[in-house]
Amino acid sequence: MTTEHILTTRGLTMRFGGVTAVDNVDFNLRDGELRCLLGPNGAGKSTFFKCLTGQLTPTEGKITFAGQDVTGALTHQIVNLGVGIKTQVPNVFDGISAYENVRLSARRKHLAPMARELTHTTLERCGITHLAKREVGLLSHGQRQLVELAMVLAGEPKLILLDEPAAGMTGDERDRLAQLVLESARSAAVVVVEHDMAFIRQIAKFVTVFNRGAIFREAMIDDIMQDREVQEIYLGKQANVAAA
Amino acid sequence: MEKPVTRDPGFYVMVAIGLAVMFIAPVMLDLFTIMQITQYVVLSVFALSLGYIWGFGGILSFGQAAFFGLGAYTFAVASINMGSTTIPMVLAFVIPTLFGAALGYFMFYGRLSDVYLGVVTLVVALIFWKLINHTAGPEYSIGSARLGGFNGIPSIPTLHVPGDPSAWLDPGQMFQVFMGFLLVIYVALRFLIASDFGRVSISIRENETRSSLLGYDVRKHKVIVFAIGGGIAGIAGAMWATYQAFIDPNSVSMEMSAKALVWVMAGGVGTLVGPIIGCILLQWLTLQLGTVDVVNSIAVLGAIMMVLVLALPKGIVPTARSLLLGGYILWKRNHGQAIPGKVVKE
Repeated sequence: MTTEHILTTRGLTMRFGGVTAVDNVDFNLRDGELRCLLGPNGAGKSTFFKCLTGQLTPTEGKITFAGQDVTGALTHQIVNLGVGIKTQVPNVFDGISAYENVRLSARRKHLAPMARELTHTTLERCGITHLAKREVGLLSHGQRQLVELAMVLAGEPKLILLDEPAAGMTGDERDRLAQLVLESARSAAVVVVEHDMAFIRQIAKFVTVFNRGAIFREAMIDDIMQDREVQEIYLGKQANVAAA
Repeated sequence: MEKPVTRDPGFYVMVAIGLAVMFIAPVMLDLFTIMQITQYVVLSVFALSLGYIWGFGGILSFGQAAFFGLGAYTFAVASINMGSTTIPMVLAFVIPTLFGAALGYFMFYGRLSDVYLGVVTLVVALIFWKLINHTAGPEYSIGSARLGGFNGIPSIPTLHVPGDPSAWLDPGQMFQVFMGFLLVIYVALRFLIASDFGRVSISIRENETRSSLLGYDVRKHKVIVFAIGGGIAGIAGAMWATYQAFIDPNSVSMEMSAKALVWVMAGGVGTLVGPIIGCILLQWLTLQLGTVDVVNSIAVLGAIMMVLVLALPKGIVPTARSLLLGGYILWKRNHGQAIPGKVVKE
């Protein structure tokens, strides 16, 4: 693990009319780091991800990825620099097979024979080889999550963003996912947004907590779990936190 | 696991049927019928152009006739001026393709949503129609070709053997050449769709966000697909012009654009054979209904359309395909065999 930052944001702000979804966020991620992002619904985690991947152009602030300023760049440009994202609601190609879904990702960087091989190994890594021929639109939510994850991994990104990857998964699928995330973190920086505490415990070390669009805490997972204020914002007692 | 076109039996069946029609029809059928089905062939090419961009690029154009008309007028003006039909045929592909690329550039790089895309394409076709209708005076000439406004352009040269303008084709030969065009375009589209480029356009149709999140430039892909569709519609327009030896603003009309939409919808979006079948079937029906005086043929056609949409929402070809596949699976099951392509639990 190097100490060089692969991703930094400075004063990142995203406003929708009167609502500030992301509020002046300074975020640093080291190369090869695995970071968990926590926070109640509406804390701005998904909007933050959308800013990072160019799906939204931030109102203010600056995003630097791998030494390049990517503020306001187009999605495919950012992705081609080496960012892969699994979105909160799975974004997959419903009408085509799981294999073809993953191959489309692998083919981006590799020639056809290599892409085929990479597709097979990635499907295997994600434990969905048996779903390869199935139409993705007909799969369960958890299976679709795995297909999307395979698509992200097949792109061989330097930074992997995972937005609620464990949602809709069975216990077994979740364990495999945790394994995959830990494995991927060896070759790439990973940011995971998740509410599933059992899952978080399996993978987390350093955690960033979002609340109301801003960074609320950054600490090791054990400290976060014992933080009273974090517990309270999760339970929706914002008034108390503000008063304290 | 990617199925290449060359391993799809359906592809060979289609090409065989096409070749059979191409060579047998002129021998078996009388001249009038041949001329009649030539019309279907031309319009099938037009249907393919929309079937491709809509079914395999997710681009719903309400003004595909703009390209059809542009191709027709390009061919008419160029062939009258040049006295030959070979280069004008090429121009009838090139100019609509370039126009499609330019229009597509503004629409897709401007990130127009689907609804506005429909509106813009519709309005572009309407502008064309208006424009051409207002070119009646002798001052509206390009070289020796008068645009003729709502009267259209008469005496457009008949297609001839390349390099020899005196060797023009008789109706039977013209039919065969046009069938050849249709086949070549069908085959080319099949290969294009199965290529990596085609797969990416299908992925864009399925989910634009994900395509860009995989690093594909959605805008560029859409512009290319749209331009290719425009070029094919342009060829259809040129075929139409030389077949009729006459072209008027009706070729750019709303009716023409709407017809293409209806053919593709009826035949099945997401197939190439569908638009062809939809076109032939509905054009034939229109013709048959035209001979009946009791009821308004357009009203009957509308009713048939409604029934089709309600009964076969996916279109004729996809419905027939799934029925056939269902029958095949049943047959296999009765014969105690595992069904291919379906995962069997171990």
